[in-house]
Amino acid sequence: MVTFVSAGVIGLSMGAQYALIAIGFTLIFGILGVVNFAHGGFYVLGGYLAFTLSHVLGVPFVAAIVLATIATAAIGYVVEIVLVEKYVVDHLATMLITLGFYQILITAIVVFYGAEPMDFSFPITGSLRSGGIFVPYSNLIVFVVCGAAIAAVYWLVYRTRYGIALRAMADDGPVARSQGIPPATMFPMAFAIATGLAGLTGALVTPMLALDPHVGEGVLLKAFVVVILGGMGSIPGAMLAAFIVGLTEAYASVYLGGSKGALVLFVLVLVILLVRPQGIFGTEARKA
Amino acid sequence: MAPDRHRDFWLDLWGMALLLPLLAMPLLFKDPFILSLTYQFAIGVAASLSVYVMLRMGLLSFTVPAFMAVGGYAAAMLAKSGVTEIMALMLASFVLPMIFAVPLGLLVLKLKGLYFIFITFIFNEILQLIIFETPKLTGGSDGVVGVPAATFLGADLGVPWRQVFATVAVCLIASVIAFAASHRYRAEFTSIEENETLAESLGVAVWKYRMIGYIVSAGVAGLAGLALVNMLGTAHPSSFASWSVNNYIAYVFVGGRGTVLGVVVGSYLLIYMTNVFNAYAHLSAGLFGLLLIAVMMAAPGGVVGTAVKLFGGFRADKGDAPRPAPAGGAA
Repeated sequence: MVTFVSAGVIGLSMGAQYALIAIGFTLIFGILGVVNFAHGGFYVLGGYLAFTLSHVLGVPFVAAIVLATIATAAIGYVVEIVLVEKYVVDHLATMLITLGFYQILITAIVVFYGAEPMDFSFPITGSLRSGGIFVPYSNLIVFVVCGAAIAAVYWLVYRTRYGIALRAMADDGPVARSQGIPPATMFPMAFAIATGLAGLTGALVTPMLALDPHVGEGVLLKAFVVVILGGMGSIPGAMLAAFIVGLTEAYASVYLGGSKGALVLFVLVLVILLVRPQGIFGTEARKA
Repeated sequence: MAPDRHRDFWLDLWGMALLLPLLAMPLLFKDPFILSLTYQFAIGVAASLSVYVMLRMGLLSFTVPAFMAVGGYAAAMLAKSGVTEIMALMLASFVLPMIFAVPLGLLVLKLKGLYFIFITFIFNEILQLIIFETPKLTGGSDGVVGVPAATFLGADLGVPWRQVFATVAVCLIASVIAFAASHRYRAEFTSIEENETLAESLGVAVWKYRMIGYIVSAGVAGLAGLALVNMLGTAHPSSFASWSVNNYIAYVFVGGRGTVLGVVVGSYLLIYMTNVFNAYAHLSAGLFGLLLIAVMMAAPGGVVGTAVKLFGGFRADKGDAPRPAPAGGAA
C-alpha cells in the first residue's frame, strides 16, 4: 500500500512535468499548425540556462529558473519570427525547419558545455516521510510549481481576451483574421509561451533527472505520446493524458521494471487509438 | 511542383540512372572513403525511397528504422544460423518486414495526418524496447554480433569491394521495387494524396492502396536494413535508432519529395555534406541542421522541385511551355 501511494505521488509529479511540456507542444500545433521538433531542445536549453545562472554565475535557484524561462521564451519568439512565420502554412516544411534548428541548438550546447552530463543538482534535498510513505521534496516542489504554471496557462487561455483570440486562431484562422485578430502578433507570442513552458520544465526538472544535450529527444517522444492520447491541439486533453502517462509510467516502473513500464505505456497508447483514433479530447487531424 | 506524368516519369528514370554508377564504384576505386561514401549513398537512397513510397499517398511514415531493424535482424540471425546466401537473406529481409507491416497497417492506416506521423514514430520506440527485452533472441543491448559475411552462389562476399558491391546491388533492387510500385500505382497513390475523399467516392479503394504502399515501403526498408547489417557485420539497436528516420526524411524533402530524382539528389547531397562536416565532428549535426534550414527556406520544393519550377518558368518565358499533363494522368 505504501509503495502504491508513493508511486502515485511520483506519478502525479511526472504527470505535471509532462503536462507542462505537452501543453506547450499542443499549443503551438493547435494555433500555428506547426509540429515543433525543437520542443525538446527548448527543454534542454532551459536546463542549461538555469544551470549556468545558478551553478556558474551564482544566481539564486528560483531567480535562475525565472530568468531561464524568460530567456527560452524570448529565443522562441525570435525563432518563430525568423524561421517559422513565413512557412507556417506548410506543416512539413516547418517540421523540418524546427528539426534543423534543434540540431543547431544541441550542437551549440555541445560546443559550449561538452557532451557529458552536467552536475546539476536540486538545491533542496530530503524527503517527506509520513506513515511509511516516502516522497522526495524535489518531486513535491516540481509538482506544485508545474501545477501553478498549468493553472496560469489555463487562466491565460480560457479567462483572458488574449486567450480567446488564441483559441479563435486555433479554431478557425481565416475567420479569426477577418475579425481583426493579427496572426503576426499572436503566432510569435504563442510560440514564446510554449517554448517558455518547455524552458521552465527543463530548468525545474533537469536538476532532478539528468542534464545532458540529448535528453530532449526523450522529452519530445513523451510530448508525442501525451498529445496523441489527449488529442492534437487540445489543452484539457494534454493535461489529462499527461497525468495518465505519468501515473502509468510510475506504476509500471515500480511493478514491472523500467523498460517494461515504457512498453506498457506504448501499448496503452495503441489501445486508446484503436478505440478513439483522434485521442481523448481530439478532433479530426490536420493533414500533414 | 504540379504533377506532370510524362515529366515525372523521366525525372524518376533519371533518378534510377543516377544510381547505376554506384555499382561501378567498388570495381573502379579502392579508396576506403569512396567505398564508404558509396555504400552510405546506396543505403540512404533505399531507406529514403521507403519514405517516398508513403509520401506518394501524402503519408509521412516514421516506421522506416523499425522495418530496417526487422529486415536487418532477420538477415543477421539467418546468417548466424548458417544461411549466408545473399538471395536467401534478401528474401527474408524483404518478406518479413512486409508480413509485419500487415497487422501494423491494419492498426495505423486508419489514422490520418499527424496522428499517423506520431504513431509510426512511437513504433520505432516499441521495437527498440522489444529488442532490449528479448536478449535471447536479438542479443538485447549487445545486438547480434559477428554476423558472417554473405555469399553469392558459394562465392565469399566478405572482401571489401565485394561487400560494397553486394550492398549497392541490394539497395538497387530495393530502389527498383520502390520505383516500380510507385509507377504501377501512380494514379491511385496520387488521387489519394490529392483528395482522398474524392478518390474514395470515385471508387478508388483507398484502404487497399494505402496497405499496398505500406507493405512495399516495409519491404524496401527491410532490404535497406539488410544492406546496413551486411556492411557493419552486426545488427545493433543503435543502427536503427528512431531519430535516424529524420535523416531519411530530410533526404527526401531536401532533394524534392515529388520524384525519385529528388530522393536520389537529396540523399547524395546530404550524405556527402555530412561526410564533409565530419571533418568538424563536433559541429557536424549543427551544420547538417543549418543546411536543412537553408534548403527548406531557399527551395521549399527541394532542390529538384525548385529546379524544375525555375526551368519550367524559363521555358514558358521562351514560349516553350511544358507538356500538359495527359487527361487522368494525375488522377
